[in-house]
Parts: sequence; structure tokens; C-alpha cells
Amino acid sequence: MTTVLVIVALLVGAYLVAVLESWTSTGRLSFASPLLAGLALVGRESLVPRKSDRIFFEVGPVLLLVSAVLAAAVLPLSPGLIITDLTTGALFVNAALAYVMVALLMAGWGPDGAYAMVGGFRFLGQLVGYSMPIVMAIVGVAMRAESLVTTQIVESQVTLPNAVYQPVGFMIFFVAAMAVCFLPPFDLPTAPGELAGGVMAEYTGWRLAVMRLARAVLVVTLAASVTVFYLGGWNGPVLPPWAWTAVKTLAVAAVMLVAGRYVPRLREEHLLAWYWKFAIPLALLNILYVGIVLIAGSSSSMSM
Amino acid sequence: MILQTVFIGLFGIAAIWFAVVVFRTHSMVRSALALLFSQAALGAMFLAMQAEFLGVLQIMMMATEMSIMAIFMVMFMMDPGGLGGMDMTHQKRGSQAAGVIGAFAALGVAFLAGWGSPAATVPGPQEQLRGLGLDLMERSMLIFETAGVTILAAMIAATAVALATRSATKQEGNDE
Repeated sequence: MTTVLVIVALLVGAYLVAVLESWTSTGRLSFASPLLAGLALVGRESLVPRKSDRIFFEVGPVLLLVSAVLAAAVLPLSPGLIITDLTTGALFVNAALAYVMVALLMAGWGPDGAYAMVGGFRFLGQLVGYSMPIVMAIVGVAMRAESLVTTQIVESQVTLPNAVYQPVGFMIFFVAAMAVCFLPPFDLPTAPGELAGGVMAEYTGWRLAVMRLARAVLVVTLAASVTVFYLGGWNGPVLPPWAWTAVKTLAVAAVMLVAGRYVPRLREEHLLAWYWKFAIPLALLNILYVGIVLIAGSSSSMSM
Repeated sequence: MILQTVFIGLFGIAAIWFAVVVFRTHSMVRSALALLFSQAALGAMFLAMQAEFLGVLQIMMMATEMSIMAIFMVMFMMDPGGLGGMDMTHQKRGSQAAGVIGAFAALGVAFLAGWGSPAATVPGPQEQLRGLGLDLMERSMLIFETAGVTILAAMIAATAVALATRSATKQEGNDE
């Protein structure tokens, strides 16, 4: 039952993300467009390119969807509404999201097309950039909660959400999360206008529909993880817990989608340079900062 | 207990199978991904042995590690997409000998070492996490620090080797 509810929530979220995304690119708010576009894609022929690596070509989009759903499986939407409350939840999110890279590499390599392949390898480089800061930012969250269990991480933010407690970690995680779901300005693997769709270029018909759905679900998952790790999850006055999670997740997704409109696409080497020379040292400083605050907090409460 | 053994065996066979695939394919990307799945199968073995943290860590780290390995492959192979025909085997005589010796050594360790009886009870995941953390910060700290610094040094050295030197670039320019 919980699983069904979470998957329905993910689908509704993905639909709303698709509406928002089409609004950011066309300027028109059309609630029917994602459904119509999806129906049109399913109705069209799904071509398989000549001399494609068939296994990778077929597995790529499905693996993208599976990794996004698996990462969402350990994120609590409200007390009790979580598919599996793993002891290593915060680590598991990263483990599942690491396979986004594998899926995009497969989708890039599979169709035997130059644009797709460049897109796939670009995301590989992107992962080398974002994977360290995102894990280090989560370390700060786990330090405060003294646990990797996602529900305990939410409960640790009852008094003060992590976005206020460790703003540097929040910013690093937020930007890295945008890079994971390859939203602009980090849309290097798809890069419309430059790579003609990149990893999505050779996909047509229902396979493209699966890929687009997977990407929308991925955005929802990342927005939900920002909510759980930094915005206090279900905590909030008046509204029921699930509504708070929904509102926060959608707000984060909207900010992610809109922010990219005003920033030019980064180049691969600039992205890597920024992550390694700026974000990783900042993330390490954030760990140090959280450690100092925690020790200072515990010693002052002991002396009282 | 029987089900657990069956699953450990299945994942073990999957790990060996994918490891064989690494050398059977003629594509760089396929062989890199086969290696990843072989390592992920090892992670699944950890999960089957109720070592949750180690399993999840293995499955996560191997995806990242494989990507770094692929970047080094691209750097050294002069074949960015792996589009050219390639063979994963080389120096066949020597590697066959090394493989046979390695296999006997591994089997020798597996059968001759005193492993003791299987653990009767497994500590809970939370307990395991705590134990691992304490072990990393106490007994095993030096080992992990040494390994980490060694790997970092190797990566920097590999990058330095792959960088085009000024004289090499000049030569290329003259050839054209």
C-alpha cells in the first residue's frame, strides 16, 4: 500500500514537473501538454538505430527510471509513508543515484550515434565533479542527526531545518542535485541546441517517453531529497505532514527549474574546476563547521 | 540459512560471470560496465550476508570508481569512445601463467585457512555501522590512510603521465 502511494506521488510529482518544465521553455502554463506529448510519443514508432548496442540501448532508459525510483524508496513523505526505512538510507540515496550515470552512459553508448556518445561521456565527467560534494554535504546532515536513517534526519530538524543550520552544505547539495538531474545550467548530456538532445537524441517513441518520464521522476526525487535532508521534510505547522513534504518538494523543483533559465550552460572543464577547487573545499569546511557547532552545543548543554 | 547460502552463491557466480565478460568483449564501454556489474554483484553478496552498510557502499563506490577508471582508459587509449576494434587481452602467455598461479593461491587460501565456524548471530545494521566507524578511527586508520594516499598519488601520477608535454605538442605541430 505504502509502495503504491509513494509511486503515485512520484508520478503526480513528475507530471507537475513536466508542466513546470514546459512552462520554463515555452512561457505558457498548459496542464494538458505533458499528457498529450506522452500520448503522442507512445503512439509514434520507436526506432532502433542501425548497429546499435542493443542491450545498452534498451536498458539505459529503464535503468534511469529504476535508479530514480530506488532513491525515492528511502525518502519519507510523511511519518510512516516510506517504502523502506533502511539503516543506511542517506548512503543508499547516493548509491541509487550513482546509477543515473551508468544509465546515461548506456543510453549514450547504445545507439551508436556521435551526439549521444558525447552526451554520455559528458555526464561521466559531470559525475566526477558532483559526486564528492554531494556525499560530503550529506555527511554534515548525518553528523547532526547522528544517523543515516532518513526519518531520523527529518526528526533532527524539528527545531531548525538544516538549510538554516548549515546553509553552506545546503547550497552545495542543491547545486549538486541540479547536476545529478542534468537540469540547466548542468544539462551537458542533453544540451539542446548544441548536442541536439545528446543522450536522448537517438531515442524515439515509447522509449523516449520512458526516458522523459525517468528524468521528471529524477527531478522529483532530487527535490524530495533536498526537502528531507535540508528543509525539515514533513515538519511544519497547520498543514498535515504529507502536504508539507509535497509543498516543499514542488517549491524546490520549481526553483531548480526556474534558476537554470537565467544561467548560461557551463562548459565541462569549468564545471569540474568549480566543483573541485570551490565546492569540495567548501564541503570540507562545512563538515568542520558542523562538527564545531555540535561539540560547542553539547559542551554548553553539559555545563548548564 | 539455506536461502541465504543460495543467494550468496548466485551473486558469486554472477560476479565471476561478469568478470569473464570483461575480457570477452571487444568494446571498452562494455568491458568497463561488465566490471561494474561484477563488483556490484559482490556488493549484493555483502547484502546477502546481512552487511548492509558494506553492501550499499560497495554498490555505490563501484559505479563512481568505474567512471574514474573509464576516464583513465580514455586518457591512455587514444580512443575516446572506444569506437576502434580492440582486444582486452595482451601478453597472453604471461597472463595465463599469472592467472593459474593466482587461482591456485586463492583456492589455497579459501580451503587451507582456518575460517572458524559461521557466526551464530549477526549484529544489527546500526551496531555494524558503529563498529565500522570505531574500527576506521582506531585500529584500521593507518591502513586506510596509507591506501588512500597511495591511490591519490597514483592518480596524480597517471594524470601527469597523460598530460601532453610542451615538447610533445611542438613535435606534433611540426608534423602537420
